[in-house]
Amino acid sequence: MSIISTSQLTKIYGSGPAAVTALDHVTLKIDPGEFVAIMGPSGCGKSTLLHLIGGLDKATEGVVAVDGHTLSDLDDNSLTELRRRKMGFVFQFYNLIPVLTALENAALPVTLDGVKPAEAQKKASEWLSRFGLGDRLSHRPDQLSGGQQQRVAIARALVAEPQLILADEPTGNLDTKASDEIAALLRRVSKEFGRAVVMVTHDPRIAAYADRIIFLKDGKIAEETILEKKK
Amino acid sequence: MSIRHALLGLLAQKPRHGYELRAAFQAVVGGSEAWDVKPAQIYTTLDRLEEAGLVERHSDLGEGSEPARRIYALTEAGRAALQEWFACAVDSQHQRDEFFVKLMVALFSGEARLELIIQTQRSHLYQEMHAMTTLRDSYHARTGMAQILLLDKAIMHLEADLRWMEITEMRIEAIKGQPFPEPEIRPRGRPRKGN
Repeated sequence: MSIISTSQLTKIYGSGPAAVTALDHVTLKIDPGEFVAIMGPSGCGKSTLLHLIGGLDKATEGVVAVDGHTLSDLDDNSLTELRRRKMGFVFQFYNLIPVLTALENAALPVTLDGVKPAEAQKKASEWLSRFGLGDRLSHRPDQLSGGQQQRVAIARALVAEPQLILADEPTGNLDTKASDEIAALLRRVSKEFGRAVVMVTHDPRIAAYADRIIFLKDGKIAEETILEKKK
Repeated sequence: MSIRHALLGLLAQKPRHGYELRAAFQAVVGGSEAWDVKPAQIYTTLDRLEEAGLVERHSDLGEGSEPARRIYALTEAGRAALQEWFACAVDSQHQRDEFFVKLMVALFSGEARLELIIQTQRSHLYQEMHAMTTLRDSYHARTGMAQILLLDKAIMHLEADLRWMEITEMRIEAIKGQPFPEPEIRPRGRPRKGN
């Protein structure tokens, strides 16, 4: 079964003559463990697509299902719960909390979910160690490089053990070397840990790490390229 | 591209047999996946270098039952030619490009859609870039830096090609509207085809 499936997914902002169609009847499927890059010129609808999949925005038309749950069928509480358990989010500017340590930041989602702090921090430290940050647990974000902060953010996205990671321009704020490291890390998340990763990027070098690239243009899928055949 | 200078460089290091030169050359250029050179090419180049007086050939009497082998060494003139090469810059050669020619032929012949040609090429470049990225990340920085450097160069060029293609795609309509550069028509040349 697909981890994500959308059917005729459409998003229109505004109404009447001022209406803007951001996403125009997009139908796609993404498999568990697959690493997919979404590309396209700015304004093509790539962030809108990611937000609809993540339940951060509501579709005007069409449906999106994550792990078999149709998002529009869920009430707010169920949607929040689904987001917390099934998805992890990674953003361009990391969105870490400045006064918390790397460990506390990474543990935050499960702490909020009612898991005991000791247990939450154990999980968080496991992910941080896997990502080479075992010796940075008590550093605050401003004591870490951009690449390290993004690794903390990816650990945070994984701490609740979701099967899906949604990343919006995860390398948009990083230099070339750190960008490559983050892209390679997201590939590891997909291949070594079996999580589906959907990444919006405008950077060809970063997109080349994925298994498949979906190109959007004017809100529609314009092209699709398979980079690595399914095993 | 200069096989001859690479061979001169390898012989500057020490005299070598032909088959050994080929193996060393393959290693220097980043393996046979990067640039496959046939033995015949190596021997033809060595013959030319010998004629030009840049290398000299000796016979090495094989030990015991081994047959005699040719061994090549660098001459003083060869060393000077190598130094001359080091002193010169290398042309980038980006203006001689098969994909560009294909695009132009599609444009003036009307036999193919430019959008489709770009799409096919883009797909291919991304697949190449994925394969090279995977290969590069399989090398360790402590032992495979030469391979990493070469693959980085290839990846960066692919990146540039993809960006160029994006710009070209945006300019398709503009180029379609322009007259294709034709050579000067000779007095009794064939009549021009209508546009």
